[in-house]
Amino acid sequence: MKMEKFLKSVFLFLLFSMVFYVSLLCLLGDNVLKKANLNFVYKVGSYGHMNTRLKEINDYENIDVLFLGSSHSYRGFDTRIFEKSNISSFNLGSSSQTPIQTEYLLNKYLDKLNPKVIVYEVYAGTFCFDGVESSVDLIANSKNDFETIKMAAKQNNITVYNTLLFGFYKQLLNSNDDFKEPIVKKEDTYIKGGFVQRKMEELNDTKSFPKTNKWQFNEKQFLAFQEILKLIKSKNIKLLLVQSPITSKLYNSYTNNNVFDVRINKFGNYYNFNKLMNLDDKKYFYDYDHLNQKGVELYNKEIIKVVQKNIVNYTNH
Amino acid sequence: MLFDSINFIFFLVIIFILYWFVTNKKLRNQNLLLHIASYFFYSCWDWRFLFLLVFSTFLDYFTGIKMYESKSEKAKKIWFWISISVNLGFLGVFKYFNFFASSFADALSNVGFSINTWSINIILPVGISFYTFHGLSYVIDIYKNRIQPERNFVDYSVFVSFFPLLVAGPIERATHLLPQIKKERVFNYTMAVDGLRQILWGIFKKIVIADNCAELANLIFNDSSNFSGSTLLIGALFFTFQIYCDFSGYSDIALGTARLFGIDLLRNFAFPYFSRDIAEFWRRWHISLSTWFRDYLYIPLGGSKGGLWMKIRNTIIIFLVSGFWHGANWTFIAWGTLNALYFMPLLLLNKNRNNIEIVAKGKSLPSAKDFFSIIMTFGLTVFAWIFFRSNTMAQAFEIISEIFSKSLFSIPQFEMHYSRRSIITASLLIFFITIEWIGREKEYALAGFGLNWSRPLRWTFYAFLIFIIGLFMNTIETPFIYFQF
Repeated sequence: MKMEKFLKSVFLFLLFSMVFYVSLLCLLGDNVLKKANLNFVYKVGSYGHMNTRLKEINDYENIDVLFLGSSHSYRGFDTRIFEKSNISSFNLGSSSQTPIQTEYLLNKYLDKLNPKVIVYEVYAGTFCFDGVESSVDLIANSKNDFETIKMAAKQNNITVYNTLLFGFYKQLLNSNDDFKEPIVKKEDTYIKGGFVQRKMEELNDTKSFPKTNKWQFNEKQFLAFQEILKLIKSKNIKLLLVQSPITSKLYNSYTNNNVFDVRINKFGNYYNFNKLMNLDDKKYFYDYDHLNQKGVELYNKEIIKVVQKNIVNYTNH
Repeated sequence: MLFDSINFIFFLVIIFILYWFVTNKKLRNQNLLLHIASYFFYSCWDWRFLFLLVFSTFLDYFTGIKMYESKSEKAKKIWFWISISVNLGFLGVFKYFNFFASSFADALSNVGFSINTWSINIILPVGISFYTFHGLSYVIDIYKNRIQPERNFVDYSVFVSFFPLLVAGPIERATHLLPQIKKERVFNYTMAVDGLRQILWGIFKKIVIADNCAELANLIFNDSSNFSGSTLLIGALFFTFQIYCDFSGYSDIALGTARLFGIDLLRNFAFPYFSRDIAEFWRRWHISLSTWFRDYLYIPLGGSKGGLWMKIRNTIIIFLVSGFWHGANWTFIAWGTLNALYFMPLLLLNKNRNNIEIVAKGKSLPSAKDFFSIIMTFGLTVFAWIFFRSNTMAQAFEIISEIFSKSLFSIPQFEMHYSRRSIITASLLIFFITIEWIGREKEYALAGFGLNWSRPLRWTFYAFLIFIIGLFMNTIETPFIYFQF
């Protein structure tokens, strides 16, 4: 009898707490919590134009190339350059996108886009991040569904859960439907197809990096990465793993780049353009991580060669 | 498996169901379940050390019986010393070997001899200091004829390795826990609800207060040479709350969990930062360890019976051993010594038992005198924690000299992100201290908090705590500090 009372009380309290938690979160989400920057980050139209990209994706299907990855992808693969070479493409990169989010995006959009080739930008950093930043970006800017819940569960982070709860609430109210993201934000311009072009500038090289940095890999990301490979293989899509160039100064500050190369190389066709291209830091980058437009053009020429080879192979196949 | 992880919640729910719904017909089965669950819980850290735990448990179980059955005093003594030396031997090798080896080499090099020392890469088995002390108290109690040995290995093993207390205490006594293990347990609604309440408060203390303080304290202590006196003082304050909320939070979760199984564990903390002098602080801080040292070291050494010098000697020994118990580093010994020095004036003036009752009992606010005493005692404690937290003695002195310099009056320097975090953490600390103050007359802060409110109001408060946990918990997982001891 006492046990029955205990279990009933616990059940009722949990129910009450859940309702209380969600209500308070929804009530305070738009003003207090957003400003306080706690375990809650909900920003529609955030850095990287993800909102526009995900709205635009509905116009695309049966493309030649799909680009995936972090900002190195959406700032590194200019869809216009590929178009000139008669390659239709879409850039589905997003800020700090880790394999957990890549898996989510593929589960959601792969069938519709149906690409011949996937160019997946595998920056070592994305295998080290927890992926929270990218998850909350996707939650705030995409339509949340069961796939989003799966992604949040994989992430297993309170910030992601809080943001997702609020995301569902906003979706229920349709309150983001009228949101229109500006195409130009400060130095960034969104280009049709998902690329974000930075106003041309050269690197102001003032920083120094200790030559003792080490990538601290997050094994959870490697597990998600393997799931991605399985999915792509099951759809019979050609996959190219590439690492976009970053400044040699930053790249060489990491002592275990080779460890990463060896691990990734096992998974398929992998091209590390930090080793394949020799780009001048000052001339071809606008910051230590990202190519400027001149750099993008040079880099994309190289990528096109690789992609064309693979599309030909695909067609013959 | 950390207490504040999702895995532990699943584990706890499963064991709770099995305990009260499957094995509840027979005490023997309940104890067997606790035994298996505890070993599983321990092996989640490192299954290899489970063998050490089993060996240590069996050794004390076996020597306990042998001592009791010994026909002569000499045989009894032999079994006693076998147990003591093996237990302390394990502790010595796993915890102190490298410290002694390097200290010995340093000492020789100071007098002109250079030797090649070798250190071994030893992983400290989690909880070794705690379960060793469990075993030692049991063996000593049998030797002193205070208790009879336990004949049932499973029951004895539950006493040593009951999962809520296994890795960081409280350090139990056979006289307190074993009778509870031997006695049939009936589900008690009030006790179970109280357990859940204590778990909630423990989780709040750990993942909201301690982990947020830890992020800032680590930032400051890990780069102490680059911070001003004022920032270093803030770092020391954050660490002061980190260590209290980390350890007492853990103890609250342990005690609350045990209550769900109908078992009462020893209280480990009693609002130590509201103490009016250091003697009171030590009666309220890590109580199960302090009383262990009192009963098994201080009193056997003669306690306070042999005159003033004996009292002083024994007090110094206790504090030094207490410091050393925390780890093989001079900083812990300095921390112990400092506390001994704080204690001395009270001992000499015979004022060490002046403040027995909790401060301002039955009142809302303390008197001006009490308030001043609390602040003074707190200040001394913060000063001692600087040694405890520093990696080396040199770092501790560097921090102290910076704190006592002009830079103490400079504006603390933080990056924007951390200055926001420190303001948020300071606000949470104010909330926390207020609740602790209101609840200070009970066993833990939430024990009596709002009990006379209507149920909806009380539940709203608990749900609000959960909301705060969800929004403010630090997402960087910080292991409990006392796991390393």
